[in-house]
Amino acid sequence: MQHNNNISGVPLFFHRRRCCSVFLFPALNQSRRRLMTSPAPKPAAAESFGSPLDSSDDEAPEEVTFQASKASALQSLKRALDTARREKELLKEKRRRRQELFQEQKVEFPVSWLVVSLKGNYTVQTVKERALASSQQQVALDFLQSRLYGPGSCRTTSNELLSLQNKRGRKKSAAVQFVNKGWGEFSNM
Amino acid sequence: MGEFKVHRVRFFDYMPSAIRAMAFNSRTERLALSRADGALEVFNFADSYFQEKVIPGQDGRAVEALCWVRGRLFSAGLNGEITEYDLENLRPKYTMEAYGGPVWTICSNSQGTHLAIGCEDGTVKIFEVLEETIRFQRNLDRQKGRIISLSWHPSGALIAAGMMDMIKVFNAESGHATHRLLVERGVGASKSREVVVWSVAFLSDHTIISGDSAGKVQVWDGVTGTLVRTHLVTKWDVLALSVSRDESSLLAGTSEGTVVQFQFISSTVDQHDKEWVRTRTFKNHTHDVRALAHTDTAVVSGGMDTQLVVRPLLEKVEKNTQESALRKIAFPHVMLAPCMVNGCRISDTNAKLLFFYIICHLTCLCLFCTTCANVSVSGDDHICCSALSPCGGWLAYSTISSVRLYRLQYNGSNISITKVAKLPKVLRSAHQLCFSSDSSKLFASTTHSSVIIIALSQSECKYLHTLRPKSGTRQPVHLMSASEDGKWLATANSDCEIHVYSLHKLKLHCTVPVYSSCPTAMAIHPTTSNLVMVHADQQIFEYSLVQKEYTEWSRKLQKQGLHHLWLARDTPITHLTFNPRNPAHIIMHDTYMFCIIDQNLPLPDQKTLFYNQMTLRSLPEPERTSHSHSFKICKTFQHLLCVSLLEDHSLVVVERPLLDIASQLPAPVRQKKFAT
Repeated sequence: MQHNNNISGVPLFFHRRRCCSVFLFPALNQSRRRLMTSPAPKPAAAESFGSPLDSSDDEAPEEVTFQASKASALQSLKRALDTARREKELLKEKRRRRQELFQEQKVEFPVSWLVVSLKGNYTVQTVKERALASSQQQVALDFLQSRLYGPGSCRTTSNELLSLQNKRGRKKSAAVQFVNKGWGEFSNM
Repeated sequence: MGEFKVHRVRFFDYMPSAIRAMAFNSRTERLALSRADGALEVFNFADSYFQEKVIPGQDGRAVEALCWVRGRLFSAGLNGEITEYDLENLRPKYTMEAYGGPVWTICSNSQGTHLAIGCEDGTVKIFEVLEETIRFQRNLDRQKGRIISLSWHPSGALIAAGMMDMIKVFNAESGHATHRLLVERGVGASKSREVVVWSVAFLSDHTIISGDSAGKVQVWDGVTGTLVRTHLVTKWDVLALSVSRDESSLLAGTSEGTVVQFQFISSTVDQHDKEWVRTRTFKNHTHDVRALAHTDTAVVSGGMDTQLVVRPLLEKVEKNTQESALRKIAFPHVMLAPCMVNGCRISDTNAKLLFFYIICHLTCLCLFCTTCANVSVSGDDHICCSALSPCGGWLAYSTISSVRLYRLQYNGSNISITKVAKLPKVLRSAHQLCFSSDSSKLFASTTHSSVIIIALSQSECKYLHTLRPKSGTRQPVHLMSASEDGKWLATANSDCEIHVYSLHKLKLHCTVPVYSSCPTAMAIHPTTSNLVMVHADQQIFEYSLVQKEYTEWSRKLQKQGLHHLWLARDTPITHLTFNPRNPAHIIMHDTYMFCIIDQNLPLPDQKTLFYNQMTLRSLPEPERTSHSHSFKICKTFQHLLCVSLLEDHSLVVVERPLLDIASQLPAPVRQKKFAT
């Protein structure tokens, strides 16, 4: 049996014989007498928390089947993983929200004030939120660009298209050569 | 006939813009289409597909969708605005902020009372269509993803919205989503990417048809919210859908450049079990098809390869006629666009000035000295029209907001351009600009087909007069021609009206009898003062301005009829000019040929060999005259933007080969072909 200082309670050692797992949970409901009388701490079976123990030291601890202990170990493992995942997601969400907030704050509104003076001491000022609108437009254009021309879109160049047409047409001719090397290269919409 | 020295100009980098969206109005038979640079064009399908109106683009106006509501045209774009257009003055009427972020789609109900727009923020916004404007009514329930496409059910009670990974059906009354149809993602690598439902169509029997980025066209039952059938049409995206008016046929446009047709037919004779069956595939484009329209008789498609293709459906039209021919419209029809050539004497040199404009830059090129001057247009608006004076000293252009005038000075080694500061306030914007032959006046056409005359001089530019037609028309002028002797000015508008004004009396001289097809080119003969007009249906007329009647030659031509091969041409004549050395010559051109009509020669009859230039060349000299007819056609130079005759009897031919345009288009899809 191995002791471990894993406070989270995840079993790190799995013994197939009598007592299967070692937990460092505080030994609840163990009779004081048992603790005091046995120098070597007897490992308590998972299932037997809270169950009355026999006063006799000769009796073996309660039989726990392999299946049951395996199931419980897996369950606790799953629980622990779930907790870890949930925590990670919560952190991610928090980070994302913080990032969004920073982005919003970062966008500078070019303040173009239109001041209208009304009767008395009232003025009306309107701010034009042009920068935000154009950044949204850019996001939309980028989406369109990436869906049609981005990775996975399987595109070729105009040069190749025209050359293939030359080679497969009824009148076969040479591949298209461009005077201007810049022609026929990938270009955006 | 004679020989001409030909200057071939192929360095003009004219690049048309990709077609982004289109909408067909079946009542007026007009097709509206929008381009990537924000320009809008209206084609009259009843008049040989003539491009009768062009509204220039604007920086930042990215039109994603178009929609007709009765005769009114609306657009929505990624700048988050809805725009209504004034088609009589060729400008936006007003724009309205949608406050939903970029707008992806706009769609009107069949009753024409409401507009629905799909926004980036996940809302579907409903606007009420009022007399002079639109008014925001309400939002439907906001969704988590962007709304890419919309379609109203013909009853107006339900709206289908294509989004990311799903289609939602909304109740237009309550605003709640009643059904959620989950769209399957692609296979393999695309499984990790969301599938975009680029287009939806809601039919009257509650069938919903969707086209998505995984290349599927899916048929759904809108009542139960279940998938009926999936058709995998392409490996790439299905970008556009269009349903015919009778809902019996559906078109799907793909990134491959194909348009796939589905028809609602039954596989058995008894017609009880109709279903959507894939029938034809049209491959008329090399690049993505992003816009589609299904008219009663044809498939209209457009996309990244910038050409508008009209493919008549052979079961709807008479075979082997002009009607059934495939049409590809590659160049603009009216020379609002590219270039003008002037052969002019500038100072003492016999320099020839070549002048182009591309959207927001004007370029003057001196042909033989290879110097050039550029004018860049400031502001967001693009150029509507421009003109260069015959003397080469004045340059003018107009946007929808202003007119600018420049002085050009050529001093041996370079051209300098100086702006004329003060222009008469009455000159705010022009649809067409034209200088008088002595370069002393500028003619600018404005609203209701009127023409403003500005007197030009070294010191100042003064407003002289406004010429108005008597017909009460509200349409804009698209053609304007001043005579060389300074006596006449002819204007033509999209109502097919041609008005001729006397410049000496400064009033309307006559109106040419209205012909049913719109004029595409016209010019006034320098010596005979005959007005020659060519129309969209390829008819040619010659009208004597002095006699106020059609000329003898014109009547003869009408009686004989034009040769069927002339009438079968599918691009309009865009420019007309005369030969100073031979008054009987009329020079005209379309995209694929230029033609010299010799009025002294006999007209061809239907049985004559029409394209006879090669034949004539092979005949001995004395026999040629007996075999000649008046139409001399040359197809050597293509694709033509402008053909002009200079003083020294040399021709300037401005070509823009379609191959050069194709080489600079964005990336097409990579298709694996056998043995490549």
